[in-house]
Amino acid sequence: MGFLAAGLGAGIIALGAGIGIGMIGKSATESIARQPEAAGDIRGAMLLTAVFIEGVALIGAIVCLLLALGVGQ
Amino acid sequence: MIKILRRLTAVCFLLLFISPVVAAADAHTEQESVIDVVGKVSNHDYFELPLGNKLYLPRILLAGGDWFYFSSTKKAVESGLFIESETGLVMADGTAITLDMSITSHLIYVWFGFILTFFITLWAARRYKRGIGTSTEPRGAWHNIFEVLFVFIRDDIAKEFIPHDKFKKFVPYLFTIFMAIAFMNLFGLLPWAAAATANLTVTATLAVITFVLTQINGTKDHWEHVFMFPGVPGWSRFILTPVEFLGLFTKPFALAIRLFANMLSGKIMIVSILGLIFIFTDLFGAFIGIGSGVFWVLLTAALYFLKALVALIQAYVFTLLSAVFIGMAAEEHHHDHDETSVAHAQDVHL
Repeated sequence: MGFLAAGLGAGIIALGAGIGIGMIGKSATESIARQPEAAGDIRGAMLLTAVFIEGVALIGAIVCLLLALGVGQ
Repeated sequence: MIKILRRLTAVCFLLLFISPVVAAADAHTEQESVIDVVGKVSNHDYFELPLGNKLYLPRILLAGGDWFYFSSTKKAVESGLFIESETGLVMADGTAITLDMSITSHLIYVWFGFILTFFITLWAARRYKRGIGTSTEPRGAWHNIFEVLFVFIRDDIAKEFIPHDKFKKFVPYLFTIFMAIAFMNLFGLLPWAAAATANLTVTATLAVITFVLTQINGTKDHWEHVFMFPGVPGWSRFILTPVEFLGLFTKPFALAIRLFANMLSGKIMIVSILGLIFIFTDLFGAFIGIGSGVFWVLLTAALYFLKALVALIQAYVFTLLSAVFIGMAAEEHHHDHDETSVAHAQDVHL
C-alpha cells in the first residue's frame, strides 16, 4: 500500500507543480513579449515564484519517499 | 589577525591528519558487485580518493560518559571497546553512543567549501586593498569572476530584497553562503566525491543560521505580524496567529528540504540511468545492453550539464530566499490598515 500511495502521490505532485510552473512560465513569457525591457525583473520574479512551488512539491516528494520506505510503520 | 587565522586553519588541518590511514578499496566479492546507489550520496566514515583509495577519518565518540578518540572505525573495533552493529558502532557491552562527533566525508566537503570561500575572499580583499579593482579595473579572469559574483549578490539579491538602509550588513553572509553552497554542490560533480548539501543535516544547519539571523533582525512590525495581525477582525486571529507562527518554522524547513532534495536527486538520477545499462543487459542480453548503453551515456552526459546548472541555481535560490526572509523580517511597514491585506498577499511564503 505504501508503494501505491507513494506512486500516486508523486504523480499528483508532478501534475500540480507542472501546472503551477507552466502557468508562471506562460505569464512570464507573455509579459516579456509585451514589455521586453522589463525582462530582467520578470525573470527574477518568475524564478522566485517557481521556487516557492518547487518547495511545496519537494515536501510532497519527501512524504512520498517516506511512504515508499515504510517509515513509521 | 589574518596571520592568526591562517595559523589556526593550518593547525586544524594538521590535527585532522595526525594519523591518516589510506587504504586501497577492499577487494569486491561477487555479491558486492551491485552498485550501491544510495552509498554514492550518503555520508561515510572515510574520504574517498581518486583511483579507489580511501582515507579513513577519525572517530570521536562520547559513550557512557567518556570521550573516545580513534583514527578510524577499524581501530575503534580493534580496540575491543566498540563493536559494529547494523546501525553503526555501539559499545562492546551494548550501550549506544551518546554523541557521535566523528569527522565524516560530508563534513570534510563542508570545510572545503567554506575554506575555499574564505581564502578566495581574502585573496580578493588583498587585491582590492592594493588598489587593483578600486583605482584601476579588476585584472585577470579570476578577479573579474569574483567581482561579477559579488556585485550580483550585492545588487541583485541583497539590495533588491532587503531594505536599503540595512542591506549592507547582510551582504557578507549572503555572499558566504552562496559561494560555500556553490562549491559544495559542485564538488558533487566529481566522480568520487559527494555533494555535502545532499545531507539534510548540512542544509538544516545552513537554514538554521538563516532562521536565527531572520529572527534576530526582526523588527517590531515583524513580530506584530506574527502575533497580532493588524487590520483583521478579532476572531480570525485565532486562526492567523498559529498559522503565522508555524510559518516562521516552515520557511527554514522548506529552505533546507529544497536544497537537500535537489542535490540528492541529482546523483541518484545519474547512477540510476547508468544502472539501466546493467538492467537491460540482465533482461535482454549483452548485445542490447551495450547497444542501449550509447543512449544512456549520452543522456547521463546531458544530465551532468543540467546538474552543474542546478548546482549554481540552487546556491542562488538558497541565497535569494535567505535574503527574502531576512528582508521580510527587517522591513518596517509604513502602511495604514487598509493596505495590510495587500501587503500580506505578497508575504505568502513556502
